[in-house]
Amino acid sequence: MAATSTAFAFEVAPAIAILPLASFVIALFAGKYLPKGGALAGIAATGGSLLLSLWIALTVAGGATYNEEIYSLVTTPNSFDLHFGLLLDPLSALMLVIVSLVSFLVHLFSLGYMNDEGERGLPRYYAGLGLFSFSMLAFVFADNLFMSFVFFELVGLCSWLLIGHWYREEAPPSAAKKAFLVTRFGDYFFLVGVVAIFATFGTTLFAGPESFPTLAEEALAGAGGGEAGGGAGELSTFGFGPGTWFTVLGFLVLGGVIGKSAQFPLHTWLPDAMEGPTPVSALIHAATMVAAGVYLVARMYGFYALSPTALAVIAFVGGFTALFAASMAVVKRDIKQVLAYSTISQYGYMMLGLGAGGYVAAVFHLMTHAFFKALLFLGAGAVIIAMHHRQDMWEMGGLKEKLPVTYYAFLAGSLALAGIFPFAGFWSKDEILYEALIHGLNDPLLLGGYLMGLTAIVFTGFYTFRMVLLTFHGEPRTHTARNPHSLGWSVKVPLVVLGVLATVIGLINMTPVAEATGLHIEYLHTWLEHGIPGLTVEHYDEVLETVAGYSAASLSPLLPAVLSLALALAGAGLAWALYSGPDPDHHTERLGDIRTLLMNNYYQDEYQVWIAETFGTGVARLSDRFDQSIVDGAVNGISEVSLLSGDRIRRIQTGIVSNYATLLTLGLVVLLLSVGLAGGWFL
Amino acid sequence: MTGGLGVGVLQTAPPIGDWVALAPVLLLALTALALFVIDSVDPDDASGGGALAGTAAVGTLLALVAAIALLIAGIGQGQGGALRLYGGQLIVDGMALFFTVIFTSVATLVIVASYDYLRDRVYQAEYYVLMLLATTGMALMASSGSLATVFISLELASLPSYALVAFLKDNRGSVEAGIKYFLIGALSSAIFAYGISLVYGATGRLGLEAIARSLSGGTQLVGILGVGVLMVAGGFAFKTASVPFHFWAPEAYEGAPAPVSAFLSSASKAAGFVVAFRVFAVAFSPEAVVASVDWTLAFWLLAAVTMTLGNFAAATQDKVKRMLAYSSVGHAGYVLIGLAALNSGQNGLVLGASMIHLLVYGFMNTGAFLFVALAEYWEVGRTFEDYNGLGTQAPIACVAMTVFMFSLAGLPVGGGFMSKYFILVGAVGTGHFLLAALLLINSALSLYYYSRVVRSLWFEEPANSIGIEGYPLGLYAAVVGAAVVTFLLLPGIFLVSDAAISAASALFV
Repeated sequence: MAATSTAFAFEVAPAIAILPLASFVIALFAGKYLPKGGALAGIAATGGSLLLSLWIALTVAGGATYNEEIYSLVTTPNSFDLHFGLLLDPLSALMLVIVSLVSFLVHLFSLGYMNDEGERGLPRYYAGLGLFSFSMLAFVFADNLFMSFVFFELVGLCSWLLIGHWYREEAPPSAAKKAFLVTRFGDYFFLVGVVAIFATFGTTLFAGPESFPTLAEEALAGAGGGEAGGGAGELSTFGFGPGTWFTVLGFLVLGGVIGKSAQFPLHTWLPDAMEGPTPVSALIHAATMVAAGVYLVARMYGFYALSPTALAVIAFVGGFTALFAASMAVVKRDIKQVLAYSTISQYGYMMLGLGAGGYVAAVFHLMTHAFFKALLFLGAGAVIIAMHHRQDMWEMGGLKEKLPVTYYAFLAGSLALAGIFPFAGFWSKDEILYEALIHGLNDPLLLGGYLMGLTAIVFTGFYTFRMVLLTFHGEPRTHTARNPHSLGWSVKVPLVVLGVLATVIGLINMTPVAEATGLHIEYLHTWLEHGIPGLTVEHYDEVLETVAGYSAASLSPLLPAVLSLALALAGAGLAWALYSGPDPDHHTERLGDIRTLLMNNYYQDEYQVWIAETFGTGVARLSDRFDQSIVDGAVNGISEVSLLSGDRIRRIQTGIVSNYATLLTLGLVVLLLSVGLAGGWFL
Repeated sequence: MTGGLGVGVLQTAPPIGDWVALAPVLLLALTALALFVIDSVDPDDASGGGALAGTAAVGTLLALVAAIALLIAGIGQGQGGALRLYGGQLIVDGMALFFTVIFTSVATLVIVASYDYLRDRVYQAEYYVLMLLATTGMALMASSGSLATVFISLELASLPSYALVAFLKDNRGSVEAGIKYFLIGALSSAIFAYGISLVYGATGRLGLEAIARSLSGGTQLVGILGVGVLMVAGGFAFKTASVPFHFWAPEAYEGAPAPVSAFLSSASKAAGFVVAFRVFAVAFSPEAVVASVDWTLAFWLLAAVTMTLGNFAAATQDKVKRMLAYSSVGHAGYVLIGLAALNSGQNGLVLGASMIHLLVYGFMNTGAFLFVALAEYWEVGRTFEDYNGLGTQAPIACVAMTVFMFSLAGLPVGGGFMSKYFILVGAVGTGHFLLAALLLINSALSLYYYSRVVRSLWFEEPANSIGIEGYPLGLYAAVVGAAVVTFLLLPGIFLVSDAAISAASALFV
């Protein structure tokens, strides 16, 4: 009985992604005729996905896993294995629940943000949300890297559609293009990586004995054991040592990750993406697009764990991004801009966690962040509705009394973001830093990442509470802030749900408490321990130790926890001291040149535009010339030749049968002569 | 007599009756006879059109169902090997059944479309009878086990075709095309028969497997055998409209009634290929033959010239039907890659790829010609410009035509994309990079002239307002049906690809 229900659960699992696809089709073609512009179809579909995801999670909790091919694109023998399949294990089951929950709440919130505000193009909007959810869910349960790539790109397309939703204005289309192009830059590397992995392993499966992480591990073991003709001999590593080559492959895929997860230096698209509707920002930042990059690293962690170089780079880039983005968030005036930089910074933490060998910690932070960042964005959306679509925090103030539900939910999210005990972000961020510290004591690159991550805590505490104080505390600074728009239930319900989650979800993996008391309360750790062999925490730890040479210093988690909490409180306290009055000053102005630098985001956009204009345009001009003269020349040449010779051929076709008979006979003679000569009949 | 279908697969001497294995052929022949009876009872064509078309369509459909059923039941496939009937003169195996499916599908579509096309014309019964007899001949070609049956069935398929091309007796173009087709056909048959006699002279055998056995130890008469083999190849080149035996094709396809063009360019071409596949794969494949008579080189040349010439000529045409005629020559070139790449180690794949392409082509090309039939029915004219703005008048048919055009070009809106991909994989996998490159270049060129049709249909303004009278049900059903199958073969290609590749591999066991 249990077996059949398990099998049935896995049979219907594709519906998790297909339901939002159906809502996409419905909203696109019938949205005009439906009440609410297709919103209800989207809500029903993502609600259904959520229920199915929970069912799958329960099934997976029972110890079952699933790794099957469902549709093969190419069935030719001797060809690459291009197929779609399902991989349902604890990681993907967890992510499915997160994505479908956030997507469901975002749909619900959109009723208040889009429908009630009388926005136009609602069917297009809900179609985009549906396609977005579909792509991300399918990306999450992909069983091979090729399928991941397909849906990774679809996710990118959807973000382009949704960020540019208000395409009649000037900024959104430009922001959408930027998001598309910048992430596409990273995706080039990803694409090359996928092809290279195919060429190396002949497969891109994530799990199972034939998967590429397993093959890579065997190849390394074979090479290490001194058997030249062993595992490594069967794989073509293109003249490199297997270890080096796997690092190269890891970096190629990492290109896509850095673009999508907005890591330095490809983070510049994300703040601009704030031009999209706020619920879309919540979806992009919490559960879909940006999460896709980090999820991909977690999905193929068994492969990255083989390469200490790749891991160290991931950790260092992550730590740097965390600090770098947090510093820029300090001076922003726009509430969504603050959140945008906080997103970049938080994903930096996740990368730090993954790079430092803290797989559980990173997945934990991915989860808590999904909830509290969705909460903060939806909270900001609520504020924006109330403020009649004004986003400058200096025009707000004193909203605490007018919007109590939003305030308390937003506060919970902010406490989680800043990492204040006992909110969700505290536990997960602390665990990442702890992992970075214990592994980093033996590795300077990791230690550098750790120190940057630690410093970023102060900034995070500061900008978070600056945002809270400017928005909700003090006296209202404008007329709009004195008379805010009221909020409907569809806005409040998601806030309450996420507020509760942001407060308590951290309790599922209280590592410091577990260490201190000896209780087995690290539920997430336990959750990720079972599953498909080769995709479990134990396996990753073992590989990290034996192949990557990671060793953990024995250190109590309590002291680092206290340290990071103290730093967060220090940052928050500084914000409180500066901005808590009824009418706070523009303290950041006093930073002078530094403020200008930060306001301009370290001139990242400028130098990237400069690079693009100098080198990009140069290369583009060269390739244009190549295209114009050589490619077009060849094409024009061919078409001219073909039209000309086509004319000749028409002239051969005279319409006179005896000519045809002659040509036919001559043709046969030519054929006889050539084959006869080749076969040597005349010798 | 009837020993159960499933049991037959496992035994070398299957206990099913000959008539069961030959059911598709017999059904086609019986339908032709039934049409004779109907016509003699009620000779009034104008009133009896429906009964004639209906009987013919039911007959071909039954034959189609029978062929599919035999294919699924595994008759002549699997461990038992091919069924050899009448002393090996006829062979029923996966390949024969697969191609019978193609012929009967095309015939069904064409007959359904002809119901409207032939309305108010005389000699309808003769038309359907000829078509069914030609289909019977093609089905026999697919099953031929010796050069004698190959020749007879080829003539049985050809002779009705000549008459069909000249069916519009009052139309100068139709009659002229028929005469030319017949004359070239006679010349080709002569070459073919002479080739058979030379092969017989060199081996003393006519049965395909017997020829292979006799040649397995090599032969002293290399020159005689070589000339014979190439002349036989010439006979097939005529049937498949390959250069330089293609001259009849543009004229016949253009002059003939459009449904007949559809029938000839799809089914007749496939029939030429199946018999070529069987003869060359079974009879002439022993290494001793290939070493001295390198017929793969001949097919290599034919493939290269045929696809290039066909596509280049198609690019300069003004009339849609003539463009399709030349594109049909070009597609013969693509399929010839399957023969050119034989004996390079992956016979099942390359031959299977060609079979899959012929199947897909059967639907997309038939559909395209039937759309032309629809245009002729509406009398909108024959050139690209005459099709301007049809998209607004008949959107459904034009969507179907768009699917055909893009699928023929090899874009992924229909099965043509996958089948061309299979051919490409086969060519690359066997190291025929030049043919693969030619395939790509020609496909790119073909996109140019195929998309001209699409542009006319959807994006051009009509020069003068075109009035379309009526939406003929039969033609529409056939066009839309072909489009649906063409489209479904894109995701569903794996349903047929395994059958094709295993049927092709079975020839080499």
